[in-house]
Amino acid sequence: MSERRSTVDVSGLTTVPFGHRSLLWWGSLGFAVIEGFTLLLMIASYFYLRTNELDWPPGRTPNPDLLIPSINTVLLVLVIVPMRMADTAAKRMDRAGVIRALLVAEVMTIVVTTLRWWELLALNVRWDAHAYASAAWGVVVLHSTLLVTDVFETGSLIALFASGKARRKHYPDVSDAADYQYFLSAIWVAIYLIVYWGPRVL
Amino acid sequence: MSATTGEQAGAGLLDAAGRAELERTWAARPGLWGWLTSTDHKSVATRYVATAFLFFLLGGLEAMVMRVQLARPENGLVDPDRYAQLFTMHGTTMMFLFGVPVQLAVATYLVPLMVGTRNVAFPRLNAFGFWTYLIGGLLLYGGFVLNTGPDAGWFSYVPLSGPQYSPGKRVDVWAQTVTFTEIAALVAAVEMIVTILKQRAPGMSLNRMPLYVWAVLVTSFVVLFAMPSVALASMMLAFDRLVGTHFFNPAEGGDPLLWQHLFWFFGHPEVYIMFIPATGFVSEIIPVFARRKMFGHTALVLSLVATGFLAFGLWVHHMFTTGLPQLGQSFFTAASMMIAIPNGVQIFCWIATLWAGRPRFATPLLFVLGFVFLFVLGGITGVMVASIPFDQQAHDTHFIVAHLHYVQLGGFVFPLFGAFYFWFPKVTGRMLSETLGRWNFWLFFAGVNVTFFPLHFLGLMGMTRRVYTYHPETGWGALNLLATVGAFMIAASVLVFLANVFRSLRSGAVAGDDPWGAHTLEWETPSPPPPYNFLHIPIVQGLYALWERTADRPVVTGMITHRREILLTTVLDAEPDVRYQHPGPSIAPLLAALAVGVTFIGGIFTTWAFVVGPVLLFPALMLWMWKQSPPAEPLTESEQPA
Repeated sequence: MSERRSTVDVSGLTTVPFGHRSLLWWGSLGFAVIEGFTLLLMIASYFYLRTNELDWPPGRTPNPDLLIPSINTVLLVLVIVPMRMADTAAKRMDRAGVIRALLVAEVMTIVVTTLRWWELLALNVRWDAHAYASAAWGVVVLHSTLLVTDVFETGSLIALFASGKARRKHYPDVSDAADYQYFLSAIWVAIYLIVYWGPRVL
Repeated sequence: MSATTGEQAGAGLLDAAGRAELERTWAARPGLWGWLTSTDHKSVATRYVATAFLFFLLGGLEAMVMRVQLARPENGLVDPDRYAQLFTMHGTTMMFLFGVPVQLAVATYLVPLMVGTRNVAFPRLNAFGFWTYLIGGLLLYGGFVLNTGPDAGWFSYVPLSGPQYSPGKRVDVWAQTVTFTEIAALVAAVEMIVTILKQRAPGMSLNRMPLYVWAVLVTSFVVLFAMPSVALASMMLAFDRLVGTHFFNPAEGGDPLLWQHLFWFFGHPEVYIMFIPATGFVSEIIPVFARRKMFGHTALVLSLVATGFLAFGLWVHHMFTTGLPQLGQSFFTAASMMIAIPNGVQIFCWIATLWAGRPRFATPLLFVLGFVFLFVLGGITGVMVASIPFDQQAHDTHFIVAHLHYVQLGGFVFPLFGAFYFWFPKVTGRMLSETLGRWNFWLFFAGVNVTFFPLHFLGLMGMTRRVYTYHPETGWGALNLLATVGAFMIAASVLVFLANVFRSLRSGAVAGDDPWGAHTLEWETPSPPPPYNFLHIPIVQGLYALWERTADRPVVTGMITHRREILLTTVLDAEPDVRYQHPGPSIAPLLAALAVGVTFIGGIFTTWAFVVGPVLLFPALMLWMWKQSPPAEPLTESEQPA
């Protein structure tokens, strides 16, 4: 081709972008918005149903227990620490550091997910008792589905890096997973306060 | 590291070998396997649009049966049960299987071309969205064929749709169909947002972005915040029906109005999910056929954004007869009237552009003019029903049926047909016939008015919607017969359209790259576009990319051709930022969609499906993430082992 065209050469640009320069970061943000907004609407529904009752919990339903949910909330917040370390290691492109930090985070998340069952029992009511029960179970179960997804996501990242199949382009995925973990932990704190403390003050 | 500018002639442009390698890298796989694994946005979008159009035909057939049933009093073509299924299927099909999907599908085709990139941001997710949508559609029609078609109306109000009044599986089929379509819409919205924000060609700063792309961006944000609401509502309904929760059961503290709030918080914005991209079509078609730049570009962008926000302030106007507090009613009346302002601004800008231009009345422009006329009529009745005293009289009558069809057919289907005529040459390489196009338009335009204008009067005379028949003494027979005649005119126009498409595919005039003298980037590529869209990524120099570029037509060089690579740019100014490796074709999206299908269809029958489905999903996702094409030499920086 001998045509005269002015050109911009992009061959020097990076191919391993982190944060908002990466497509996956935007994709994760999009899905976090969807999940966060769904949870917000679920919480709004919880409060909407609250207006139908004089007492909350209604009738002789006891308040939720606090012990297991409080321990589990602290644990879920603490998962942020290893995920933050995984994020830093990913930005250094330190494979061993990534695997180590992700393993700690994964073990903690599995413990949290397991304890989630007792957290549901701590609501002290079955989901089919009345609307309060359905709403409280609804909020907690909805968050739990995200938690299970998180266990799979972190697990697959560990497998990817431990198997030696990972490539440099996968380091930003670790950072994105860390960002998602912050979202998951932060939104749980709000849910914990609303579902487990809310009935005591509402 | 930044990009550098080449001065010399043709520096870095692809030679024949580079071009051949680019074609090899992006080539579609052959045969059925290639079709099932394709992640090319054009291939996926084309089948998406075709599927949505098929559902449009099915929804239209249901409407025809209803219109024939209502053509005369005490007609016995269908019984009340079948009629209830028909109006539910018609509404559900048109809203969930045609309206929203077709708009997102067209966007998936056009947006990457319009912003000058090689594919959508997440091509596998895009394919997954299509398969999920297809499974949802098959579920709905499978149910209908097995006499398990939903029958509680397209908005499935509780308590009618609850476990007490709708035993059996009909409503469950509806709820899960909705689940599938909302997953598909959400993934499409995310990928459109990311494609638009991160993959615009260098130079296409936000202020140089085409109006259609703005419309898709706003629509995608509306999807992002509207769809979760119906997802949640349909999930609650499914749980009320399947596992005994009480979200909507007033006997146990639940609330039927919660359903209405959640449904319409989605349902009203849904109208705008269909309408806003349609205004984008109009804004692309008018300057091309008026042969001048658009009057009031900034005002149009602001109107789109304002419409997107206001769309969320209107949902309660569907609930004026439910006894809401007066303050709330006043707020929603004001919001309902306020949305007429940005839409009015748009209409005045379009009229001004046509007024000051030299209009060429080809078929796309005819559909646009038809849109303006019909949408203004629908908008006027919209302002009428925004007034509470009037709404309380007209609610649930055929007046509303008339209003919503003027808004939907006029505001969304007419621009869509205009868009079909406008972009068909790009997609297929062939022109549609203008003569058949005019028949298509005039039959459609007349048909819509003959069908739906009489329904205003029938509504005011007291004919409620969703009645399967009426007595002769009501005096509704003549107007109903007239409406049915109109429905046949619409059906005839759609047949003309189909004939036009098939004739053109076989022997239509060859279109060339840019048959209309248009200004957006897709008209620079061949028709149909190659799998990689652009040989070189173009550099945009003005708002009207092809009308405002310099003679040297600047392009990007330096991208590798032995891997699928796309260029990422900065969000505001679209400066070159990252070369990004893109995934290739894969069967994983189809497998993942099947696993999701097992989860939600199985969930109708057993809660174990919510265990089995995710277990099946896991390997599909592993395949999705891990199974990339084998690395071709030389390895790029991103492909070096971690």
